[in-house]
Amino acid sequence: MMGAKIEELFRNPAGILSSEAPGGDIAVSSRVRLARNPEGRLFPRRASDDERREFVGEVTAALPELKHLGGASALVFDPEQLDSIDREVLLERYLASREFNARPEGALLAVRPDERVSLMVNEDDALRIQCLRPGLQLDEAWEEASAFDDELGSVFKYAFDERLGFLTADPTNVGTGMRASVMLHLPGLVLTGQIASAVAAVNKLNIAVRGLYGEGSENLGNMYQVSNQSTLGESEKQIIARLGAVVSQLVEREENTRKLLMERDQHSMLDVIGRSYGVLKHSHRLSSEEALKCLSGVRLGVDMRLFKSLDVERINTIFMAISPAHLQKRAGKELDQSERDVCRAAFCREHLN
Amino acid sequence: MLCDNCKHNEATVLIKEIRNGKSTSINLCAECARLKEQQGELGALGFNLAEVLFDLGKLTKALKPGTRKPDFEIPREVAEAVCPKCGWTAEKFRQHAGQLGCPECYRTFAPLVEGAVARIQRGLVHLGKRPSGGGAGGAVAMRLELERLQRELKELIKREEYEAAAVTRDRIAALKRELDAGGADGEGETR
Repeated sequence: MMGAKIEELFRNPAGILSSEAPGGDIAVSSRVRLARNPEGRLFPRRASDDERREFVGEVTAALPELKHLGGASALVFDPEQLDSIDREVLLERYLASREFNARPEGALLAVRPDERVSLMVNEDDALRIQCLRPGLQLDEAWEEASAFDDELGSVFKYAFDERLGFLTADPTNVGTGMRASVMLHLPGLVLTGQIASAVAAVNKLNIAVRGLYGEGSENLGNMYQVSNQSTLGESEKQIIARLGAVVSQLVEREENTRKLLMERDQHSMLDVIGRSYGVLKHSHRLSSEEALKCLSGVRLGVDMRLFKSLDVERINTIFMAISPAHLQKRAGKELDQSERDVCRAAFCREHLN
Repeated sequence: MLCDNCKHNEATVLIKEIRNGKSTSINLCAECARLKEQQGELGALGFNLAEVLFDLGKLTKALKPGTRKPDFEIPREVAEAVCPKCGWTAEKFRQHAGQLGCPECYRTFAPLVEGAVARIQRGLVHLGKRPSGGGAGGAVAMRLELERLQRELKELIKREEYEAAAVTRDRIAALKRELDAGGADGEGETR
């Protein structure tokens, strides 16, 4: 099978990038993922390489019929043919997971050219549908994921139990097989130290909150992913309504906090934003950590309409472009950390106008 | 509050574990938490996700002869079961962080899976969409679940386990509401 080249992804802006995203200042992106497995097959982790390849063959044969993936225009990646930087690019674009990249044998990723719909084959589950949208668009992402699911379900008979619903490799996904999530930018809650109590309150509602970068403790860039924990016992729409309500509350609290900060301590607030801009605009060495922190500051300024020539789409574009694999892809060669820091600074200087 | 480990920096990470109603907690500064995580020492708190979720710590003990009887015992036939379709075992389930081998495993390890599901999920029965063209069978599944829960409730009351009975009673009420609303087809968001 001939796989697509990673470069083909760069022809279009990534799935989460858009200037017309509803609620796109605090809610960066929305995602719905559905896990499905064909009846009668072993889960991918348990299946042999041959069995996995056989299933990849079945999916490949069906691809031209799958309109939601763009039919013949779908970009199809065989992870075995990709090097580690290419696979990391997929991760940075939210198209592949770490689990997917860890086992490239007998796997496949199909992506609609606009990157808003994709399908991982033989991750933890045989089929993982993903719909990605900019801003707060959980309902839209669910509708599209469900329609794609219907299309795929007409090709494959799913493993389904009357009582437990869709059967998944991990019982934490059983039932709807759905994980819905929203990425939130919450600098106000972080600055005022409210984030820990907010996370604790949200967790009580069976909703998970994770920092986007770094495992656990440290979070960079003030980005938090909020997602449903439970997948059984409620319909998809109920789960999404519950998640949506929590997200709205977090967004409202963040908005109020920002307002309060501006009223009470305008100069500190503007100082954070101005310094962030200064660092991004004038540095010649930028670590990931510092860049994400400063991008968060500038993003805050963009939300407050402090920059005439910058918009959220530009910030999102930089955000992705300065991640390690994207920088190396752009340079056309492997870069060590020190070289990446130089390239990262150069990119920011050039693209912040 | 100072970090319990270095007793120097301000603690910002609270790790709390609740097991059998007993809660233990440790306060760490970011630096110590990171170090401990890297060194795998957070595991020393006895936190293995699969074991906590699936009570497999007890399963392991149950397998060793001569140990004290655990309060929640997994039937021997499940602990020693081998999935006829894929050869998965309860031990592999534990090693692979609670992953199953194939759809059939849900039947093979039903008591294990049900225990896990009850602990992590909000309900025990699927109320979401069904495979397209699968017909409307959702209401049937819900009625079966309702009957099962009603039997469970009677049993719990008989054993005077009133706390668990209250949970089951709430589940029955929720399920009845769903059935009355004509749910089970993913449209059940009416309250």
